Amino acid sequence: MILKAPEKNIRRYGKAEGTGYQSPEVWSKVTGKAVYGIDLNLPGMLYGKILRSPYPHARIKKVDTTAAEALPGVRAVLTGAKLESKPFGIAVEDELPLAVDRVRYIGDEVAAVAAVDLQTAVQAIKAIKVEYEELPAVCDPAEALQEGAPQLHDNFPGNVAWQRELVRGSPGDAFTGADLVVEENFTVPAIHQAYLEPISCVAVDDPYTGITLHTALQSPDAVRKIVAGVLNYPLSKVHVSGPVMGGGFGGRVYGNLKVYILSALLAIKSGSPVKIQLTREEEFTAGRPMIAAAIQMKMTVRRDGTILGREADIITDNGAYSAQAPWVSKTVSERNDSVYRIPSIKTRVRLAYTNKIPTGQYRAYGNQAANFATESLIDMAAKKLGLDPLEMRLKNCVREGDITVHGLQIGKCGLDECLKAAAKEIGWDQKKEGRGYGLSVAIHANGSLVFDKNFRGASALARLELDGRITIFTGEQDYGQGTHAAFAQIAARTLDVSPAQVTVESKETKTAPFSTGALAMRQTTIGGKAIQLAAEDLREKIFKTAAELAGAPVTMENGVMCSISGQELALAEVAYYNHSATSGLSMTGEGKFVPEESDYDESGYGNISIAYSYAAHAVEVELDKTTGALTVHRLVAAHDSGRIINHLTARGQIYGGVAQGIGMSCLEGYLFDEGRVANASLAEYKIPTALDLPEIVPIFIEIEDPAGPYGSKGLGEIVMVPVLGAVANAAADAAGVRVTGLPLSAEIIYQAISGWECEQ
Amino acid sequence: MSYLIASSLEEALTSLRDGSGKARAVAGATDLYLQEMPYGLVDLSFLKETTVIEEKEGLMSLGAAVTHALAASSPLVLSRARALAEGCAAIGSPQIRNIGTIGGNVINAAPAADAAVALVGLGAKAELVDINRETRTEAVENLYWTHNRSLVDSSKEIMVRFLIKPCLAGEGSAFTRFAARRALALPMVNAAARVKLEKGFVKEVRLVAAPARPAPTRLLKTEELVIGRPVNGETISMVEKAVAEEIEVRGSLLRCSARYRQHLVGVLVASALKTAATRAGTSGKAGD
Repeated sequence: MILKAPEKNIRRYGKAEGTGYQSPEVWSKVTGKAVYGIDLNLPGMLYGKILRSPYPHARIKKVDTTAAEALPGVRAVLTGAKLESKPFGIAVEDELPLAVDRVRYIGDEVAAVAAVDLQTAVQAIKAIKVEYEELPAVCDPAEALQEGAPQLHDNFPGNVAWQRELVRGSPGDAFTGADLVVEENFTVPAIHQAYLEPISCVAVDDPYTGITLHTALQSPDAVRKIVAGVLNYPLSKVHVSGPVMGGGFGGRVYGNLKVYILSALLAIKSGSPVKIQLTREEEFTAGRPMIAAAIQMKMTVRRDGTILGREADIITDNGAYSAQAPWVSKTVSERNDSVYRIPSIKTRVRLAYTNKIPTGQYRAYGNQAANFATESLIDMAAKKLGLDPLEMRLKNCVREGDITVHGLQIGKCGLDECLKAAAKEIGWDQKKEGRGYGLSVAIHANGSLVFDKNFRGASALARLELDGRITIFTGEQDYGQGTHAAFAQIAARTLDVSPAQVTVESKETKTAPFSTGALAMRQTTIGGKAIQLAAEDLREKIFKTAAELAGAPVTMENGVMCSISGQELALAEVAYYNHSATSGLSMTGEGKFVPEESDYDESGYGNISIAYSYAAHAVEVELDKTTGALTVHRLVAAHDSGRIINHLTARGQIYGGVAQGIGMSCLEGYLFDEGRVANASLAEYKIPTALDLPEIVPIFIEIEDPAGPYGSKGLGEIVMVPVLGAVANAAADAAGVRVTGLPLSAEIIYQAISGWECEQ
Repeated sequence: MSYLIASSLEEALTSLRDGSGKARAVAGATDLYLQEMPYGLVDLSFLKETTVIEEKEGLMSLGAAVTHALAASSPLVLSRARALAEGCAAIGSPQIRNIGTIGGNVINAAPAADAAVALVGLGAKAELVDINRETRTEAVENLYWTHNRSLVDSSKEIMVRFLIKPCLAGEGSAFTRFAARRALALPMVNAAARVKLEKGFVKEVRLVAAPARPAPTRLLKTEELVIGRPVNGETISMVEKAVAEEIEVRGSLLRCSARYRQHLVGVLVASALKTAATRAGTSGKAGD
């Protein structure tokens, strides 16, 4: 092999901060070359299709698959009665791969088939005869919690999937003789993640390697653990191989477990690869949208604006099965308490089973629902006390060194600066006539040990390739957020090379380190730190080997090493030297980032994360009082996510997250007609178009936080949180009355202005 | 299945006759993909008769296969039939507007089709020819059978063009709509107005709103009230009230409540009238 030293005049890309580095992955997407799940087509592949319940609640009396099995081209038919499965679940074990004796929502999986083509699979599904006996259904979560309501699960009496009551400080004292108590009921509908690519999976069963699920997931390791459990396969015999992901937004953390499990079961039964591709309608009727929440909240405030306490009674709508709804309910019930200095809180949250679509998680994990309630109350209090909403927030917001009511330890914190910057940019002191203005603040954790107190961190491998390039192996996923670009920059900075010399591999669970995955805004902070450590370890090894090769100590700059005697060595030379000396081993750096143990206790008190990100948004709106139509003109998003590694992708996160926040504030939400999803299409479930979005102005308050790699922190989820409160406050400012149910549709606003009785 | 791109009106009519009811004339066909495909399709998009936009002998002629995008940007439509340009600009997305046609918008017979509402507001008439070569001319609002069903049988009859009296000096038209989203959303209400002013007073007027009945609905009683009045604040308030009383609309889970729609319909018709009157006033003064 002829070795050639790399170019000596490499531009100094290595610095993490301030770059607009574009990962080459972007080009495969924009030129249409990227292979998404929907594109996959393996030799001999069959098409799977799922038969779903047409009833919100019914007993299955009989399933007859004879006609379906007799159809030419049908290779496998599955029913619940023939599978011997134990219940499984993410937070609560309440699901079966296929319903056995009962269906609990319109869309519940009853049978599955695999056939040589999609048309035959659809025919086979239609040929399955199911006898149902309809049962009384309950679709309203508050009704579901009442005595005498139809019961969904025998082992969850009272339809309570999960509940929590919590008192911290002395809320009783706080509310006694208070200067002011503000109180309101807020509602947030179920929200779909509306990723562009519906979920699909091609499952392959191989006698040697086991099951491979070709599907794009935010947390492939978490999913394969559950799938291995359901299939009763050893964990090392279940792999995930990820195609490019067409959007996730939390909806692909666990994705649609039924799709993975059923495609695997069909592949095992038929002996061929099986693809299940959800339709858009299935996404809306049998996906895992974020829970709807009804939040009854009150806050007590001293005359000078100091918050003394808050109480909340929250009911979240689980749907028929739990997915991550218990965890999301927990975030709804507490995360927002830590953005202000609130000494006392009292909370009750109940997650109710209803005969509707099961629910999961969405970007920001319900923090945005609580933001809508809390931030609305802050403005209500400020108005009653005659205080400036900006001043009231500045008076109460958390600052470095604080320990919040739930035990969160506030480290580096630029929330105060975010507020001031957002208010200044929106023109808080020079408000325009006829416009409404609103503010809102947020805190969000960078990874949370709530999921697993023992597994708090991340690990990564960094390998020096023979050509001098670097490959990073990580289980942290990129589905458009730009994580891989940031990881390449972190490794590049550590190794003093160009990020273009770094490739990030994360899609194969066979080779990637085990990871929690893309959730809880943990990837850059925790995953990125592991990559930094792996790159540091590799750098040490490179220096050692290079010194051996040069016979003298070396220094490195721009990927080129120089010995004290002046001899220059390219990375490729060092790699090849090691390769020969070890007869083929690669030089590999290991990085393990294990955050310190936390004081997090049984009651949920304690520091749940190594760092927190902060944000303040300011919004300018205009209201047409003749129709109630709200126009959001401008949104300023000021963020403290530490030192920004890549401003290009960071701004992208803000634009996208704000767009989703605007959607949730003004347009989106499930509509149900007795358990049936009434708006099960992108035509009727309205996400914003470009025309519906305001001018979005990102501001970064870059305060380095030592917790993350090169002072950086997470941004992906918090971007959405403050939008809801800020838009609601601006709308209330413009309208003169407050709307407390999302979305803030023109009709709802007009009803409020006109004092109509609600007609919902 | 067969697909014929007709090269002449004659060829199109012959193909339809040969299809014996199984072939259907299309232009754009953007909504046809949502339905069951007929056996044969006869595409009218490339005929001279169906794509022309011209003004002759005091009458505007618009081919039925003129696309929404073309109608929305045509200088002639913009200056002489502004409501239609506005209605067409509001439809769907750029992709739909580049393919969908104004004739298709009428024959598809959706109750609140934006181009159709504008055409009825302008008082457009459609010229049709059937497989026996018999022609007829009908007011657009008379082409509706029931909800989403046209009286035009596309297996036997071809809509060739629309005839519209152009808005000249002292005349103006306007279209308004209200939807949950700024694009790709069916309207809760849409409305169109055409008005002729004489010395600042309403001489002639057409007011139309949808969705209420299968066809865009003319508000004849409100029109009568407006005749002879100036279009001022008082008249606008009066129209808002009169429209809400004259027309009965329904509510739906997906769109909005009946009460809110009843309110909107008044606001939108009044707003269309106001804009049309402003344009009429301006065109008069400018000597347009």
